[in-house]
Amino acid sequence: MFRAILVTQWKWTRTTALLATVAAFSIPVASLQSARDADTPLEFISRMQAWGIGYALLAAGVGLLVALAAWGHDHQGRHVYALSLPVSRQRYALLRYGAGATYLVPAIIAVLIGSLVVIATGAIPQGLHAFPIALTLRFGLAALVAYSVFFAIGAGTTRTAAAVLALIAVVLFAQFVISASGVQFDLLRYVADGLFGTGGVLSVFSGRWMLVDV
Amino acid sequence: MTLAIETNALEYSIGRDFRVAGLDMHVPTGSVYGFLGPNGAGKTTTIRLLLGLLRPAGGRIMVLGSPMPEQYKSVLARTGYVPERPHVYPSLTVAEALMLHRAFHPTWDDVWAEELRRQFTLAPDRRVGALSKGESGKLLMLLALAQRPELLVLDEPTDGLDPVVRRDILASVLQYVTDRQATVLISSHLVHELERICDWVGLMDAGRLIAELPMQEFKSGLKRLRVVAAPDSLAGVPFTVLARERNPGSVEQWLVRGWAPGMHEYITSVGASVREVIDLDLEEGFVEMLRSSRDRVR
Repeated sequence: MFRAILVTQWKWTRTTALLATVAAFSIPVASLQSARDADTPLEFISRMQAWGIGYALLAAGVGLLVALAAWGHDHQGRHVYALSLPVSRQRYALLRYGAGATYLVPAIIAVLIGSLVVIATGAIPQGLHAFPIALTLRFGLAALVAYSVFFAIGAGTTRTAAAVLALIAVVLFAQFVISASGVQFDLLRYVADGLFGTGGVLSVFSGRWMLVDV
Repeated sequence: MTLAIETNALEYSIGRDFRVAGLDMHVPTGSVYGFLGPNGAGKTTTIRLLLGLLRPAGGRIMVLGSPMPEQYKSVLARTGYVPERPHVYPSLTVAEALMLHRAFHPTWDDVWAEELRRQFTLAPDRRVGALSKGESGKLLMLLALAQRPELLVLDEPTDGLDPVVRRDILASVLQYVTDRQATVLISSHLVHELERICDWVGLMDAGRLIAELPMQEFKSGLKRLRVVAAPDSLAGVPFTVLARERNPGSVEQWLVRGWAPGMHEYITSVGASVREVIDLDLEEGFVEMLRSSRDRVR
């Protein structure tokens, strides 16, 4: 059953998975290329760090696109095919989730291989350390978190999506009202801290994404 | 008589405009049940309720002896479903669609699936989205049949198809029923199509089941009577008068249900006489029953 879902989902995900894999391999290599002629270790770190946002964006992007591909065809057919299968709805969702998550793996492995290639060139200045496993795990976790969030939203009905959008609108409107009334309270920062700060659902995306550090 | 499908006081509503109201439906096991009704009558909604694709607001549904939607997994494993619109993912090839469907149906028959694929001339490498309407209909029928179901639920399976494809599809259904003694629920607004294959018929209109009876009874008891010197009052008539075209002093036309030859005596006993008894075909009967049902509602 899982194999059949995996095969069909490959048709809808392969372009995303292949492009993400190439990008995931390229980011560590490109970051090294930009830092190779740095004069000092500090400048080397600084140039490498400039590419750090690339990992976070790639993880979010691949998570979003793989999640969209997982549900897109079911949405088009108004879920009639899926609902007429003799399998529990929870199990069907898990099969789809598992198949999509599987297609995140090539990009995650590509980050690891790209990082190992960077280390193998011997271009990292003495005194600095490479963290290929930590970076790969972080990228993998971020991609999985992004995928899970978008998968959950995608699994819902139009009403669910509308509820999520309405919630965002309410927060923005509340911030507008707070600002207009002259109260010194930054609601958006509060929400952002809750999501991206320590312990937040999306905290894996914040902070430094470094392959090389002191 | 055991029932493959039974509903009691089934309720469902879509917004304010449409609702299935108090639906009592009985599909005998082993029958080919024609589910007739005009477009928008609620046939597709009812079918989706029966298969657990929608959740009823009230009432009870039993399919193959199991309550729905509670037991939808075991019921769907024993049910082949052809929906109103093609539901198979259009980006898959025919072979991939078969592979996917097979993975979810433990009773799938590979040999027969291949036989049907050849019979329906479906190339395995064709994309589902590129199939013609007729080919798409054949593919859906193939998927439903090759899982060897006890119950086939076909929602307008031949709508918009050419006569040759229609014949192919209906022939494959009849062949299956003959071989397996399966139950078939087939919805359609193409009345003539069902007349040849169904042994039970249910008529639906505006979310209500207005009649449910054996096809033979439906066809034989429906007559158009040309009555001379008809009485004003129809009290005590031993049949149902669906419609009456009043024409005092001349020949009246009555559309009746439940007519039997011995009922001439009633007509003469009230001082009238029957000049002619005309058989109605299913479509005429269908139209008249709808008309009289709507008149009663008004």
